[in-house]
Amino acid sequence: MTTTALPISAHPAVEGGLQLEVTSVSVQTESIVSIILANPSGGTLPSYVPGSHLVVQYGDGVNAYSLTGSGNAPSEYAISVLRVEDGAGGSMAMHQLAVGDRVYVSRPRSAFAPVSTATHHLLVAAGIGITPVLSHARAAADRGTTSSLIYVYRPGAGAHVDEARELLGPALTECSNRTGFQEVLTEQLASQNLGTHLYVCGPGAFMDGVLGQARELGWPEARLHSEAFGAAELDEGEPFSVNLVRSGIKLEVPAGVSLLETLENAGKTIPNMCRKGICGECSLSVLRGAPQHRDLYLTDEEKAENTTMMCCVSRSEDPELELDL
Amino acid sequence: MSINIDKNPESDVLPERIRRFPFPFTAEQYRYSANVEPAHKTVETEAGAWGAGLIDIDEFYLQELADRDQILTRDPSRMQVLPHMRPAVWDALTAVLSSMAEDYPDTMSFHREGNTCRWQNTLQNLNIEFTAGDDDSLPGGPMRFLGSQIQDDIVLLDIREDTMWLDAGLVSFAADWSFSFDVGMNFLEIHGPVPRVKEENIVRRAEQFLMRLQPGEQFRRTNWTMTIGQRLDTSTETYPEWGPDRGTIATDPDLPDKLHLRVEVQHLIRLPHTGVVMFLIRSYLLSLTDIAKVPVWREKLGHVLAELPEDMAEYKGIIRYRKAASDWLLAS
Amino acid sequence: MRSVSMPSAAGSGLEPGFRGVICASFGVTGDTAGHDTGDRPRHDLRFVSANPEALADLRSVLGCSHVGVRLVLAGPPADIRAAAAAAAECGLLEEEMTLLCDEAGPRVVYCPHCRARTTVGAAGTEAECSGCATTLFIADHFSRRMGAYLGYSAHVEEAS
Repeated sequence: MTTTALPISAHPAVEGGLQLEVTSVSVQTESIVSIILANPSGGTLPSYVPGSHLVVQYGDGVNAYSLTGSGNAPSEYAISVLRVEDGAGGSMAMHQLAVGDRVYVSRPRSAFAPVSTATHHLLVAAGIGITPVLSHARAAADRGTTSSLIYVYRPGAGAHVDEARELLGPALTECSNRTGFQEVLTEQLASQNLGTHLYVCGPGAFMDGVLGQARELGWPEARLHSEAFGAAELDEGEPFSVNLVRSGIKLEVPAGVSLLETLENAGKTIPNMCRKGICGECSLSVLRGAPQHRDLYLTDEEKAENTTMMCCVSRSEDPELELDL
Repeated sequence: MSINIDKNPESDVLPERIRRFPFPFTAEQYRYSANVEPAHKTVETEAGAWGAGLIDIDEFYLQELADRDQILTRDPSRMQVLPHMRPAVWDALTAVLSSMAEDYPDTMSFHREGNTCRWQNTLQNLNIEFTAGDDDSLPGGPMRFLGSQIQDDIVLLDIREDTMWLDAGLVSFAADWSFSFDVGMNFLEIHGPVPRVKEENIVRRAEQFLMRLQPGEQFRRTNWTMTIGQRLDTSTETYPEWGPDRGTIATDPDLPDKLHLRVEVQHLIRLPHTGVVMFLIRSYLLSLTDIAKVPVWREKLGHVLAELPEDMAEYKGIIRYRKAASDWLLAS
Repeated sequence: MRSVSMPSAAGSGLEPGFRGVICASFGVTGDTAGHDTGDRPRHDLRFVSANPEALADLRSVLGCSHVGVRLVLAGPPADIRAAAAAAAECGLLEEEMTLLCDEAGPRVVYCPHCRARTTVGAAGTEAECSGCATTLFIADHFSRRMGAYLGYSAHVEEAS
């Protein structure tokens, strides 16, 4: 049954992305399904960096899910989704997807990349945190680098266990209780050759524990890599309004739309170049209110003065900003 | 194209090298800035236009590739790939070839099934099959092969330890730097010798920008200097060959023909599978004689050269002759 | 805990899986003795210079160490920079190395014209290349991979 029609318009977070078709839905565990997405017209999809996530639109909302493949010239994208009963609804909507449904997705985004110089990848995952590290393990195998995985899951509730076993063989350690995990972790953290990097994904407290223990054993920050699943920053910001004092008009800047775009939509011509907060072209004078500075152009001192802002990326800390426009 | 034939009867006969030249100055003075903008955007100039595509192929294609081949045979150190960069080179090759096939459908095509790739380039009568990831499947390996298909120099920057590392590339046409010496340096170290940029925090800002690019995103910027003679290889390696010209050009009666504005169009691309940042550096030379055929260019370049602060002129290696050049441009 | 091994026997005095601090001194001026490693286990190495045998010893010590190890290098730039480059090739990160540099000691200049390396004194802005006899201007441009400063032919533009 196809209940999820393609939404009429793409959410800003998936703009410039892809429209894909669900080609397979399979049950991993009681609460986790794997969804395969492919190009409706066939052909390969953009390659992605191992550990990347995909932003998927459901209704008016978006959620981020880790891709589980190696990312090398893929013909399909695979994600696994844990049903969260009291979440914002994204995971429930994803669980209702059926073969043939179409969804808007972003291009894959990388925020948990493997280190190219690593000679060994030590992967640590808990629960649904298996998804990005499975991608890492596959890519390492592709590139001829070794990896090992410590995977913690509740008995009967582990996703991708068979794939992990096949991929890693004896380099996989499965743990179902805290004490056993602690022993394995300590032993492995203390016995890694110099080229090893650590990657951890799971609930926040779990990751904090693993990273804390690594630091205690002398691991420097540059060897530690982590991703909080489901928390990939979408960065669309809060809505706010701007009062253009010289023009005598007031505009609303919605979440997910930049101030620059809002001004352009209102017919204002603002000089701009990079639209990424680095070139400094779209600078505006602020008369009142505190901008939320998200650019790379202004110095910390200039930002603190709150008299200038880069309208392509920066937003507002206050509900309203007054601009010299 | 915005050539106004009525007002300027000369411009309808302007040769292609002038019409396609990426004249970089928008004002009568120049300072360093993080002048990046999205790629694939046509820029109209007073003489023509540039910048529509990623890889620009022009009338000098085969000549420049032959020059590069000779340079690499003479000095193999112009190409280097640190071992951990092998996947990134394949990522770069497949990304560039598929982009060329899109931009030049009449002369080029690229097909990939899994790791099996087929590349056709009729400009070189080339039809070749290779296996992505297998270095032996292409003559000279993937980096050398990429360098035989595009006029751009190639630099690959790996991202680690919250910085970028120049860990691979093929640079035959360096403008006064040594690629082989810089291999293995981080972004800040590479730019150590550039005046002003450290104080102005430009390097760190540019680095943050590049590291935040998402895979697949493509930006570009321009940079410029001057070169004496129609020569693209002004590397530190060959400095004893071309350096002496800097001392004699100011009084050379042939200065307008010998002295060239050199513009680099640099594309900045985050590669899709490795996340490595690829710099493609495409160099263009245009003599002052040619520049002067476009009155606005003649005047702008004349003022930029006259006004440029001493430290920047020194770093660009133009301090001994920039006055002679601007005098000629502004007098004609 | 303190263990000392002679250069020729380096590695043999180190228990496999070492995760303490390796302190390597080079030449007569290099001295890590004063470097406080706190209560972490420490392994001292002393070398005359960063010659190929010394670097091989250092590599073998790092090769049997585990993540958590730290390296302290003391001596003239020419030696500790070469050692740091070797350590980086073994997988050691910048964060894991401390360089105690004797700035008055010799340094290395790379000639891009003939690719030779020349060891020169700390003072002066020019040196003669040991490979092609070119007088090199020594630029303030340093490569950690080569452990050397960039030189280039001096006075080229004045020759007219």
